[in-house]
Amino acid sequence: MFRFLMKGMLRDRHRSLLPSIVVAMGVLLTVFMFCYMKGIFDDFFNNAAMYDSGHVKITSRAYYAEKDVLPNDLALEDGPGLMEMLRSEYPDLQWSERVKFGGLLDAFDENRETRAQVGAGGIGIDFFGPDTAEQNRWNLRAGLQEGTLPQKPGDILMGKTLAGQMHLSVEDDVTLISSTVNGSMVLNNFHVSGIIYFGTPPLDKGVFLADINDVKAMLDMGDWSSEILGYFNSSHYDDLQAEALTMEFNAAKSDSTDRFSPLMTPMLDDAGLREYFGYASKAGSIMSFIMIFAMGIVLWNTGLMGAIRRYGEMGLRLAVGESKGHVYRSLIVESLGVALMGTIVGTIFGLGFSYWLQEVGFDIGSMMGDSQMLMPTIIRAHITPAAFYIGFFPGVFATLLGAGLSGLRIFKRDTASLFKELET
Amino acid sequence: MRNLLPFLLLGAMPGMLMAQPDAEQILRKIDKQMVTESAEATATMVITNRRGRETRITSRSWSKGENTSLVEYLSPAREKGVKMLRLEDVLWMYTPQADRVIQISGHMLRQSVSGSDLSYEDMVDNGKLLDLYDAAVVGEEIFMDRACYVLRLRAKEGSDEVTYAQRKVWVDKTRYLPLKEERYAKNGTTLLKNFEIRSVQKIGNRWYPKEMYFKDVLAKGQGTLYIIDDIKFDVTIPEYMFTKAALRE
Amino acid sequence: MILFKLAWRNLVGAGLRTWLNVLVLAMAFILMIWGKGVVDGMAYQLNDAMTNIEFGKGGQIWHSEYDAMDPLTIEDSHAAYPEEVNTLIAAHTAAPILIRQGTIYPDGRMQTIKVKGIHPEQEVMDLPTDQIVKGATGLTPALIGQKMADKSGLEVGDLLTVRWRDAKGTFDAREVEIVHIMNTVVQTVDRNQIWIPLDELQEMSNLQGEATVIALDDPFEGVPASAAWVYRDLDFLMKDMNDMIKSKNFGGNVMYGILFAIALLAIFDTQVLAIFRRKKEMGTLMALGFTRAKVIGLFTIEGSMHGLIAFAVGFILGSPLFYLMTTKGYAIPGGMDDYGMALGNVIYGRYGPDLLIGTTFILFLTVVLVSYLPTRKISKLTPTDALRGK
Repeated sequence: MFRFLMKGMLRDRHRSLLPSIVVAMGVLLTVFMFCYMKGIFDDFFNNAAMYDSGHVKITSRAYYAEKDVLPNDLALEDGPGLMEMLRSEYPDLQWSERVKFGGLLDAFDENRETRAQVGAGGIGIDFFGPDTAEQNRWNLRAGLQEGTLPQKPGDILMGKTLAGQMHLSVEDDVTLISSTVNGSMVLNNFHVSGIIYFGTPPLDKGVFLADINDVKAMLDMGDWSSEILGYFNSSHYDDLQAEALTMEFNAAKSDSTDRFSPLMTPMLDDAGLREYFGYASKAGSIMSFIMIFAMGIVLWNTGLMGAIRRYGEMGLRLAVGESKGHVYRSLIVESLGVALMGTIVGTIFGLGFSYWLQEVGFDIGSMMGDSQMLMPTIIRAHITPAAFYIGFFPGVFATLLGAGLSGLRIFKRDTASLFKELET
Repeated sequence: MRNLLPFLLLGAMPGMLMAQPDAEQILRKIDKQMVTESAEATATMVITNRRGRETRITSRSWSKGENTSLVEYLSPAREKGVKMLRLEDVLWMYTPQADRVIQISGHMLRQSVSGSDLSYEDMVDNGKLLDLYDAAVVGEEIFMDRACYVLRLRAKEGSDEVTYAQRKVWVDKTRYLPLKEERYAKNGTTLLKNFEIRSVQKIGNRWYPKEMYFKDVLAKGQGTLYIIDDIKFDVTIPEYMFTKAALRE
Repeated sequence: MILFKLAWRNLVGAGLRTWLNVLVLAMAFILMIWGKGVVDGMAYQLNDAMTNIEFGKGGQIWHSEYDAMDPLTIEDSHAAYPEEVNTLIAAHTAAPILIRQGTIYPDGRMQTIKVKGIHPEQEVMDLPTDQIVKGATGLTPALIGQKMADKSGLEVGDLLTVRWRDAKGTFDAREVEIVHIMNTVVQTVDRNQIWIPLDELQEMSNLQGEATVIALDDPFEGVPASAAWVYRDLDFLMKDMNDMIKSKNFGGNVMYGILFAIALLAIFDTQVLAIFRRKKEMGTLMALGFTRAKVIGLFTIEGSMHGLIAFAVGFILGSPLFYLMTTKGYAIPGGMDDYGMALGNVIYGRYGPDLLIGTTFILFLTVVLVSYLPTRKISKLTPTDALRGK
């Protein structure tokens, strides 16, 4: 029977091609829409995790209380010991140290006289550690506009707008005026090895990245750690997991009477995004549901009509002696074939477009101008495992449901009236 | 009785004059002790940070007149070689690590030095009280076992760039050192900074502070101790030392 | 007219199929208007909050040195009011604001803040400045925002020591009494700042008759005569917000595009199938004297009527939703103001006539187009073949 149906479908283009194209289009839209929404949602929170909060963050209690002013003098002691403990006791996460600090960047001329001074924020990240994941996490290679990633101590990457504003280019030296954790003023020279485009205006305008060891030395921090960021291997934030880990860690390692004991904070609390996260995930689910539902109706409609327009043929088949059940089954199998073909093609194309938007992204920076908002200017999709099967709900189930429902009329009507429909 | 009154007044007058010596005289004497024509000194600053830990910073300084001075840090190791040059109202800073001379301007002048209770302004302050303040003797008290005049200082009308508009000063009656000072805001009631001379030393025939204590009253903290380990007055300092170019040498 | 009647009968006759298509179209229609209305409402609220609370409806005149993003510029940013605004100030249609830097010590911790002086009786900015009146203590009264109060642990009646430098660099300090805490969604009038009477700040900082910015009720015409002042219109002041709205709009537009595509797919699908299936009907119509154009017209009208019915259904189903969105609003937990957006806990949708008519018009036009496109095949039809269903 299958071969017979296949032949029929292949020969009658209207019976197979058009419905398949419609299903494929519908599924493509569903998959793309799903990945697009997921991408916008994840980007917002990934940005917060990547640049600022990690999935969980460990600081001293005293540091956390004043974190807005970057109180590096209240950092955790024995950073290496802590890191070692974290890596051995919590190996499910990737741990990275960060130091954030502020200061004046001072560009100078050939006589070493000040040429331009701009207030800037620095972030010390682990560029050179043996198994550092920070370069990938920051997506530095992709963002690099000129020059190279830091090759040696003293190298920094500068935000594109900031570098432009100070007329700094690759290979220039620049002095940072800041103060150490002891409050002493410090001047430190850095070498601009590369200019980077973060795609987030406040970072492009006011941030440079330096190696964490240089920063610690400059700020006289010894082996202290200001912030230790933990990232789940899945690279996406899982709030339940983060909450459970935080409870466990703080119960075991934190001492509420000791201001300098470590304190873990989940990303949503550190970034103050907890309520927003709940709201956004709910809104996202509702949107997805509505979209899939609407698409379901469209494809159901397709399935329905695919069957309705063949009532005449069914009448003929019943007249020549096929049983109603057999006609119905063949209808279902046929529409399953159409639905599967359409859905698979649609999913492939949907994933393809999404992949393009995930990897290349769409830069709306020119529309955003010089926004101060910590918001990515590149819109990206995000393909999750769900994207591989989400299209099957409207694509297969809805189409089958439509065909199945309309096919039921085979049982209701008598052969004569179905046969008659052939005439109209 | 009525005849007696002028008499009593007459008799009292010299006494009052003695009890309240000319405040200007006192200021002049303080300036003579505290303000130096030229000096070379080694000093240690003891700072307690927010974690309750003590840091000691030693420095050598050269000064000439009221507005020219040079400070070079000697220790701790990472501060060694850092120099600060004050020429009139401009402060220059040099660090050997960066090999840069950078002007410390405006708001940075008001930052605390090395987390201490002193600002860069306080550090380079060598002005004469007499030029900046009008004074009045408001009483006498014993402070740290020394008999003191208590003076109320108010910034002179139209005087420029006085950091503290009012001060209350306890001046040692015989050594003419300001053993204790309360430095007030312009409103005269908000106490901003406390200053004490905790011990003194005699260099030649001049009394000079040995240990000084500064405390920013509004902020939490332990205060800062400033110890003068060694000081020489009226030294000859080569002029080129007070140039920007010399900082990098 | 006969075409419309026929089309209507055909549609009603098709029953379930028609209603499914109508439902999809109506849903897409409602969703598009709903979403667009939320974004419009958000933009309106942001715009409204920022113009009324943060800037003043006519923009601001800034001291030429002043840069709102750079606190280092505050020290030198002050000058006597520009002459042009003196009458406006008297008429309460301009409000001079002096901004100085100060230091407070909540809990013994040094915190740098902006001290802003403003006339308590001003009416340009929508701030409760009329609350800045001396309390029982007779001290300088100060107005602060809720976030500032939370961060620094301040309550109404608390006394706060503020230290600052006057124009000559002399330290001064004063105790101010917190007389009012305002709840505002605009962080730039809340965080790290206190509001006190302008006269007192001018006296405190020895800057009588001077200001840093002048908020205006009406846009300023021309250029201020004094080079010390620059007019900043709302486009300049609201650039960040407008950029953000644009990005929201972009994201929204992609969603509309997808909704559009879904709706059109439904119509297209129906039309193609109908034209394939109803050839005999077409032949019959032609035999009865319909021209090809008329047949095309009939099928296009049939397709387009889906749209018309969908709009009717959409308006009926959507109206209660839009009404609720406009009156009760859409609650966001915690509000958006923490994330730098001047929005409260509730976003109100805005469903103006231009949005409703515009969306309807565009969607209808596209429905007509999509209904028409597949019918072009009809023009190749010969009545005899059609009658036989070929």
